[in-house]
Amino acid sequence: MSATLWFNSLTWLVWLAPFAGILAAGVTKRQDPRIEGNRVLRHDTAAIVEHWTHGIATAVLLVSGIALGVLFVPALVGSGRPLWIALDIHFVAVVVFLFGTFYYGANTMLALKRLREHLPTSDAVEFTKRHYGLLLGFKKFTMPPERKYFESEKMAYLMAAATTITIIVTGFVKVAAHSLDVPAGLMSIITPTHDVATVVMLAFILPHIFFAAILPSSWPILRSMFTGHVSLDYAKHEHAGWLAELREADEQGHDGANDDSPIAPKRVA
Amino acid sequence: MKDKGTTLNPRSSEPDKGKTFSRREFVTSIGGVGIGAVLGGMFVSSIALPDKVFAVPASGGYLLVDTKKCAGCTSCMMACSLTHHGETNMSLSRIQITQDPWGKFPNDIQMAQCRQCPYPACVAACPTGAMHADPKTGVRTVDEDKCIGCEKCVNACPFTPSRALWNFEEKHAEKCDLCEGAKFWDEVGGPDGKRACEEVCPMGAIKFTKEIPVQSEDGYETDLRTGTVWDSLGFGGAPQSGGHLG
Repeated sequence: MSATLWFNSLTWLVWLAPFAGILAAGVTKRQDPRIEGNRVLRHDTAAIVEHWTHGIATAVLLVSGIALGVLFVPALVGSGRPLWIALDIHFVAVVVFLFGTFYYGANTMLALKRLREHLPTSDAVEFTKRHYGLLLGFKKFTMPPERKYFESEKMAYLMAAATTITIIVTGFVKVAAHSLDVPAGLMSIITPTHDVATVVMLAFILPHIFFAAILPSSWPILRSMFTGHVSLDYAKHEHAGWLAELREADEQGHDGANDDSPIAPKRVA
Repeated sequence: MKDKGTTLNPRSSEPDKGKTFSRREFVTSIGGVGIGAVLGGMFVSSIALPDKVFAVPASGGYLLVDTKKCAGCTSCMMACSLTHHGETNMSLSRIQITQDPWGKFPNDIQMAQCRQCPYPACVAACPTGAMHADPKTGVRTVDEDKCIGCEKCVNACPFTPSRALWNFEEKHAEKCDLCEGAKFWDEVGGPDGKRACEEVCPMGAIKFTKEIPVQSEDGYETDLRTGTVWDSLGFGGAPQSGGHLG
């Protein structure tokens, strides 16, 4: 007889992880972006933790979930022990994913400006057109004064957020099915929904990795996801709108840490 | 919340003047209380709940096979696949006939049917309750919507080949349900109906019984020959020996 799946023996970790994320956010002192000489603090430590716990766990979940081959790729991992190892890897990623996601969610709830800076504005279509026009070499476009996040990233954020919520809700039901007698009719809806959300997440994360890690022009941002800083020149060139906001906040002596009062976005276009 | 001067400020994360319960404190409390609830629940359940007892009702029926009568025509496999899946695919059949081209009668054929075990290891191994005993008939069967594809049941079955099978097309476990979930022509299946494999077997090598058969580690000690022409051939009466029993 084989060992019990961690989804069965350690289920409590799945329920604990979200609360651990929320508690961690409650005791975290955030730092707002600011200009520091010739560099700009873009991500504080909490943002880096949020990003990498969520991001790495998502990648592992996608790989292990697809490898399980339940509905996607037949028998990539065979049967028996390799299959159970894949399920246990999925479990570990679930716990990390839930911690990171709820840590982000609670941090966002504590400072709603962090949510607002991720939401698309009326500039979304025009800025995205100019941004990718420049990337693709159309010289008639001028660099739009993007804020902290590109408008194209903001649109992708909505899809990622909706997909993440769907995956978490359906995932909770799937985990609950290991302990409770969840009706089969409900599972027949939950499982395909979880799978479809996985495909959507895959459709998001692959372009995200390309545009945020592989494309050379994005390497300064990738580096900032480890160090927290970007150069002032980079910020001037790529995020002029954001830099203007930071200068305005600096002039007003706004420290902003953990403050929900929004920094008024200034149109610089 | 304005009870006794406690206020949750919906706009600020820090306590304001005259307000004693900030958003940050609220979030921190949710996290702390949640962790306490999960850990407390674990502690209480570990001391208050009794140990799990695994018990399932006996199956409402059993398939008996007599390998000495089997001609290896695989009609039962075709019928099983057809009634359950609408196609004649031997890999989807819940009864498996295997043949050894170098073996000698009666060791050249094995009939592998689910024995509806009194202690179903497949049911015990299933982490989600997908593999279960039907509450009405006791037949061990799979709720496909609940199956997560871990194949624990396939590995838990004490027999080779496993009587719990992997449906490689629909990606879930499956096993003989005595045709409870499938109709043979317009006849209902299950313990009180007709079983496709039994109906189509031209040799009468498969029979159904509601009595729990005498079992050994190798299989049912089945004799479907006594009283038939097999007696005159010298193959009647004696139960099968082990090794190739199902």
